[in-house]
Amino acid sequence: MNSTAFCKRAALSLLAGSVLLAGPVKLLNVSYDPTRELYQDINAAFAKQWKAKTGVDVEISQSHGGSSKQARSVIDGLQADVVTLGLAYDIDSIAEHAHLLPANWQTRLPNNSTPYTSTIVFLVRHGNPKHIKDWDDLVRPGVSVIAPNPKSSGGARWAYLAAWGYALKKNNGEDKKAQEFVTRLYRNVPVLDSGARGSTTTFAQRGIGDVLLDWENEAFLALDELGKDKVEVVMPSVSILAEPPVSVVDRVAAKHGTTQVAKAYLEFLYTAEGQEIGARHYYRPRSPEVAAKYSGRFAHVQLFTIDEVFGGWQKAQKRHFDDGGVFDQIYQPGK
Amino acid sequence: MYHLRFLEARAKGRATRAFFPSPVARGVLTSALALAVLSIPVWAQTPDPQPAPQPAAQTLDQRLEQLQRQVNELEQAVKVAQRKQELAEEAAAEQAKTQATVTADTSGFTIRSPGGNYLLKIGADLQLDNRTYLGTGAGSDIDTLVARRVRPTFSGTIYHYIDFMFRPDFGLGTTAIYDAYAQLNYLAWANLRVGKFEPPVGLERLQNDDDTTFIERGLPSNLGPQRDIGYQLSASLFNKRATYAVGVFNGVPDASIGTDTAVSDHRDYSARIFLTPFLPDENALSGLGIGLGASGGNTDGEALPAFKTFGQETYFTFASGVTAAGHRTRLDPQTYYYLGGFGLLTEYALNEEGFQKSGVRREIAFRAYQVEVSYILTGEKKGFGSPTPRRSFDPLHGGWGAWELAARVGDWEAEKGIYNYGLASDTTSPRHLHEWVGGVNCYLNRLFKVAADYGKTDFGGGALNSNKLPERTIILRFQINFI
Repeated sequence: MNSTAFCKRAALSLLAGSVLLAGPVKLLNVSYDPTRELYQDINAAFAKQWKAKTGVDVEISQSHGGSSKQARSVIDGLQADVVTLGLAYDIDSIAEHAHLLPANWQTRLPNNSTPYTSTIVFLVRHGNPKHIKDWDDLVRPGVSVIAPNPKSSGGARWAYLAAWGYALKKNNGEDKKAQEFVTRLYRNVPVLDSGARGSTTTFAQRGIGDVLLDWENEAFLALDELGKDKVEVVMPSVSILAEPPVSVVDRVAAKHGTTQVAKAYLEFLYTAEGQEIGARHYYRPRSPEVAAKYSGRFAHVQLFTIDEVFGGWQKAQKRHFDDGGVFDQIYQPGK
Repeated sequence: MYHLRFLEARAKGRATRAFFPSPVARGVLTSALALAVLSIPVWAQTPDPQPAPQPAAQTLDQRLEQLQRQVNELEQAVKVAQRKQELAEEAAAEQAKTQATVTADTSGFTIRSPGGNYLLKIGADLQLDNRTYLGTGAGSDIDTLVARRVRPTFSGTIYHYIDFMFRPDFGLGTTAIYDAYAQLNYLAWANLRVGKFEPPVGLERLQNDDDTTFIERGLPSNLGPQRDIGYQLSASLFNKRATYAVGVFNGVPDASIGTDTAVSDHRDYSARIFLTPFLPDENALSGLGIGLGASGGNTDGEALPAFKTFGQETYFTFASGVTAAGHRTRLDPQTYYYLGGFGLLTEYALNEEGFQKSGVRREIAFRAYQVEVSYILTGEKKGFGSPTPRRSFDPLHGGWGAWELAARVGDWEAEKGIYNYGLASDTTSPRHLHEWVGGVNCYLNRLFKVAADYGKTDFGGGALNSNKLPERTIILRFQINFI
């Protein structure tokens, strides 16, 4: 054996030894409410791929809750290596308040760091007894609407903005009429859960309400679990393009020594395998190939973006969801 | 037709009961359904002088449909109320994870961080004594009410592993710090305590002031340090079967709390081991504990010790010109035994201490022992700590608290050389004491105790001491303690 080969073997042995001594790499993915099942499958697939590629085991823990609540937890010290939240504003908050990642985090991965998209749809009871077809049906008297709290849930904010965007479109951009519409809609909401999964529980398990405003993926998951004889999915004529983003939490990952594996984990979401897993869980894929393959799974809906209608998350957040914003004005518990 | 509808209504009732476990929700729905059903016959039997505007069956169906709608709305309202309650409870539980809790109960006032890593307890320890001296034991024995101990207590935990205690005393018209220490509990087998606290020597001295069976401690406690400043390693090992403590201290005179500063470069070294070999099992021997405490050091520059009777009279004074100087060793074999309401505590103290007069140093031996027995009449268990009454004192409702009878006998003796070397006067300072004490304790509840003790102390040993009359004292104590 020549000296170069000996050195290589020695280095590999040392590396292998250090890996064995160190044990598996551990990641914490802090995510929003309805992604539990998605990331269970993603984690298993990525761990297998990472092991095959590097020989290192990786264990990924998940934490779920309302998107904004999860962001608050990370700001308060929850040691997330990566965040996969419901909307970009929540990751902006982490960057702004805890300085755990750079402000330009969204530029680091394709599609504004959004590996999949979704939208807001309606879940109604079997037979659609209240004949709910579109947004207008949600503001009718006697229709009970279930939705989470936009102050704590990313999905709820998307739903609120979808309703607002629909009303704007219907009323030729008249903001006042949009506010009246959304006010009437939230008058029909008897319970505000803190997250999307809680709202699904309220609607599906507690039997409350006539229609659930929900993420598309969550609605189809409920359909799969409860059966077509219990609930139906109704696609509205217009909805919003929801873009749940992902990012490495740089300072935490650096502290844990997991930066490399955390990046690879998020990049895996963009691979064909990652996109297929997402599509199987009713997340709309970014990859055209995978989207074509699963085209029958996703109904065509006219989608608008938050940038088009609201000028981006920062503006939307400030006007509608900050304390004292429009939502606080239109929704007063008990009234 | 009527029966069919009635059966349908009953079937709906069963389904509703299965769906609504809550009795309140069921009650509301049952009432609504009952109203619905009852209204049918009432309507049906009401004589109608006018011809019905519509066929009766059609109207009945409409009415039932309307009632069904109302029931559905009511169901929804109940479900919404229940869900809101669930969400409120979830929110409260979530909030509890991040907010400190404040409690006020029999263990004092407590502020606790989520997870318990930070804790502050505020307590108090108040003892008011009424001392009555019978006969004429000494001229200074004046019947008196005295605030024996007035001690606010601040204790708690910081950074999960560090406990602390701060306890000053404002009793007896003085202000002094009795306890001020921090203890690092990082290693289960070695807890490090730093500050001012009770050095590990005497058994009864290590008993909390509120937990002693008698109002005043026995004579062996005259021969041990009361409080001192130093470092200590201690732990309970082998599933509570053994406790050890070793420490280094400034060194203080017997029964003293010291001056909070060292008076020489010498240090006292203390150690104690205590075995409870039959713990943690519950059997006839699990209340047996046996141990040995000891200390060694030097008395150079210290104040002379002051020894006191049960009635708190200082009975021994050193001759003028005597100073503390030389070695001091303390040895304190000790044991207790508790079984049900019965308690036995015995202790023997043997000291050798150096004194100096006119340039000559002598070592004098002191010995003391006590045997105390007690029995709780009301069925509570006796232990090293105070019993918790099974029923608090509330005679109108059959509660009498916990009642305990107790007796103690003890001796104290200085070796004869204390006279021969001129260290004390045999005309004023007896070198031998014998005491017995009988007492009744009433624990009204966990916080409040009333105790009455009678103590008789005989003096002897000096040439003229046979003339010193016995001290006979009755002490009545009212004690409030929550820490």
